[in-house]
Amino acid sequence: MADDSVLIIMTSGPDTPRRCATPFFFASLAAAMEYEVNMFFTIDGTLLLKKGLAETVYPKAGGKPVSAFIQDALDAGVNFLACTASTELHDLTPEDLIDGVKMVGGATMWQLAEDAKTVLTF
Amino acid sequence: MATIRGCNLPEDVYYLLEKHVWAKPIEGGLVRVGMTSVAGKLAGGKLAAITVKAKNIGQEVKQGKSLATVESSKFVGPVPAPVTGVLVRANDKLAANPNLAISDPYGEGWIAEVKPSAWDAEAGALVTGAAGVAAYQAKLEAEGVSCG
Repeated sequence: MADDSVLIIMTSGPDTPRRCATPFFFASLAAAMEYEVNMFFTIDGTLLLKKGLAETVYPKAGGKPVSAFIQDALDAGVNFLACTASTELHDLTPEDLIDGVKMVGGATMWQLAEDAKTVLTF
Repeated sequence: MATIRGCNLPEDVYYLLEKHVWAKPIEGGLVRVGMTSVAGKLAGGKLAAITVKAKNIGQEVKQGKSLATVESSKFVGPVPAPVTGVLVRANDKLAANPNLAISDPYGEGWIAEVKPSAWDAEAGALVTGAAGVAAYQAKLEAEGVSCG
């Protein structure tokens, strides 16, 4: 039997740095628990995937930048999916995003949600 | 008890070197497992939690798959199973004090007990005794890791 899958919907972005570490930490943790983990980025969450941007966002002064939390999650095997419409909202192209991000439509989010054991939204 | 590069590495456990976990046969045909002092160092030295997934109790966990998770302020990651086996029990003491796995990793800080499914077949992938500690030392030296 395949391991359970979980979905994390990330809507928070650089305007709210303190909301930008825990979702990635939880994603890494779920991967360490052998869940199949998908993170779906939409609204302002997509901005965190813009090349170079997450390096400038610090959830805690003097702590690690969001980019480090993102890298930990990618290293743990978390799948990153970005909402196509949200890239248009921010005038981003797929080339503007970090490597390892898959572009998908909103319908994919619904399918992932239906297949997931648990859905978290940040 | 050997101390290698500041790391406490006893000779009487079986190490799965790549994953920094140990196994030790105990009474009742069970195997006690935990993480090595090196794993504790790599996790940042101060833990916030060690959690065994309750759903996995009574289930078989494959060698190398996640048996538990370790959380610190700097790190989150799996504790891979050194051998395949049915998870019998977790160490309840870790809930109150996860840092037992740092202060006494081969004693009070054990993480779980499993009933091994294929100890004889899988033990070949593990190292033990003086040769095991020497192999661990070589790995630490190659990777520049120390516990000091």
